[in-house]
Amino acid sequence: MAKKKVFQISNALTEGLEETVTAAHNYNGELRVEIIPLKKIELDPENPRDLILTFEDLYNGIDKGDKNYLRKLSEKNSLLSLSNSIKDQGIINPILVYKHGNKYRLVAGERRTLASILSDKSDIQAKILDSKPTELKISLLQWVENVERKDLSLWERLKNLEKIIYSYSTGQNIPLDEITATNLSHLLGCSLPHAMNYIAVLTADNKLKTLIQHNQLKNLEKAALLATIQSQSTKDTAIEACLAGATLKKLKGILNQEKQSKSILKQPIILKGRGRQATFVNLGTTKKVQVAKLIIDSILDNAKVTHLKPHFSELNWSDYKSINHAFKQLLETLEQIEA
Amino acid sequence: MTKIIVNATHKGGEGKTTNSIMLAEYCALIKGLKTLIIDMDPQANFSGRYIQMEYDPAYRGGKIPAIHPDFDPTTDHEWDGRSSIANIFYGEEVIPYPTAISNLELLPAHSHKLQEAEAVTKNDVLEKVHLQLKRFLELSDVRSSYDVIIIDTPPSKGPLTIAAIKAATHIVIPAQMEQFSIEGIYGMLQLWKQESYYRTKDNQIELIGILPNQVRDIKLHKHFLEGLKMMKGVSDYVMPRVIKKRAIYTEILVEDANPKSIFDLPKTNIARQEYEAACQYIMERVFTYGKEKSFSN
Repeated sequence: MAKKKVFQISNALTEGLEETVTAAHNYNGELRVEIIPLKKIELDPENPRDLILTFEDLYNGIDKGDKNYLRKLSEKNSLLSLSNSIKDQGIINPILVYKHGNKYRLVAGERRTLASILSDKSDIQAKILDSKPTELKISLLQWVENVERKDLSLWERLKNLEKIIYSYSTGQNIPLDEITATNLSHLLGCSLPHAMNYIAVLTADNKLKTLIQHNQLKNLEKAALLATIQSQSTKDTAIEACLAGATLKKLKGILNQEKQSKSILKQPIILKGRGRQATFVNLGTTKKVQVAKLIIDSILDNAKVTHLKPHFSELNWSDYKSINHAFKQLLETLEQIEA
Repeated sequence: MTKIIVNATHKGGEGKTTNSIMLAEYCALIKGLKTLIIDMDPQANFSGRYIQMEYDPAYRGGKIPAIHPDFDPTTDHEWDGRSSIANIFYGEEVIPYPTAISNLELLPAHSHKLQEAEAVTKNDVLEKVHLQLKRFLELSDVRSSYDVIIIDTPPSKGPLTIAAIKAATHIVIPAQMEQFSIEGIYGMLQLWKQESYYRTKDNQIELIGILPNQVRDIKLHKHFLEGLKMMKGVSDYVMPRVIKKRAIYTEILVEDANPKSIFDLPKTNIARQEYEAACQYIMERVFTYGKEKSFSN
């Protein structure tokens, strides 16, 4: 009889269709980008700022009597290259705002907004949220914006991350130090190992943090590796190597070397073995005749067996078999004495 | 508000044009709605059903609409007498053609001009093409003249299809229950998803659903249809109506077919009943948008 035919839409296609519909439901309206007049954008007074330059400073010119005149001027100059690129190409990533009355309040994109004003534009592309997002949502959105930015230092990313973790912990009522890498990976949508790296660096000691802050340590994986080293001396060696430009592989090598160089005696003498209970003692084997001779001679020095010494004086120390035989006899004699 | 329905899928032969025809005639003949049909497909088949199309002397194989019946060479000096939807891409005036059905007007295709718009690649021009149909259909003159606008699209995911999706309030995906067609559904859902990201929540594009088309009583079709209905989320978008493969659906497209429309057949005719049920389902969904979504099967 012929096989009954069954037709099935492939798993990959099924998955793709299901994911597409779900994504469309969950995110509709989230990527709405519109062009809004720069004049309608205002800063959110509740959000901390990095810059002190204001929109008015750019529209009206910085007042020379301003006590922050020099700082504002240097901030303005630092925006020039961005402003030039905006003149040529416009902004690449839209800024993020939320509606506030008939104005828009800035969530992310302060530098882009200032630079656009500086380049004499009258409007800007913006993603518009319907209402003010929560603290956590803002820091997450800023994180998403920043992840794509290459010019952001590890330190700046860590500062951003601290904000996320802080608002998450207050929002969820979880103590700060109980936030796990799993929490973080869910929040950021990153892999668990990546989140573990961040957690490791966030809890690093001050020496390491200072290096990151001064941009001497830029790589997350390296920083995380250094942060997890327990022994201070190994850590110092590794940090030194890292600053000298060692690769991640090399740093891992230093760690491994350290582990191997520890003598076996440093391992705990008492072992918790598994399996059947032992009923005899195995004294081990050695290829080195001198070691065997050392053991046998030491035993023969014991008063209980010292009378056996003459028996061993004629032992052929170059023949393993006769040494084995002699040692066996020694053991038997000892067992008889101790019994 | 005027409802704008687009029949779209980038795979050819799924029944986009047939479905556009059925839906347009259902709206105009059965529902008595003021209906505008727009042909965005350079093949111009949709246009050819309702008005005389001529071969383009300047562009081999291409078609252009015949001279407009309202054209008067003695007074219209600025106008060459032809008008197509492609004019919106060239900043030219657009004048709908009347059809043999009184409530039904047409903005026909112009093969060459549409193909030029479809071939645009430069970013800034592309953006204009994408938004041009939406802008045109937002004009109050257009809105106030029609209850329903039905757009037929080319079999592609190019600028013309995107323009139609951007302009639409509702989207219908006709599809056969076959491998390549299901893959085509996937591609179209991507466009729908992308568009839904960019729209505000109160102005969403509504996916009415996948209309299983040209279905035969074979295992493949049955199994694939069941498969779609089993998928999480997707099942809500598989229409509870099915169009079977019937000769009559292609026979009525013949130029001097009698009757001309499926809706001229007696009400007892099984083909008419089948397509009317599908059209009824679609239009009920269209007019209950934003309200509670409950429908009788």
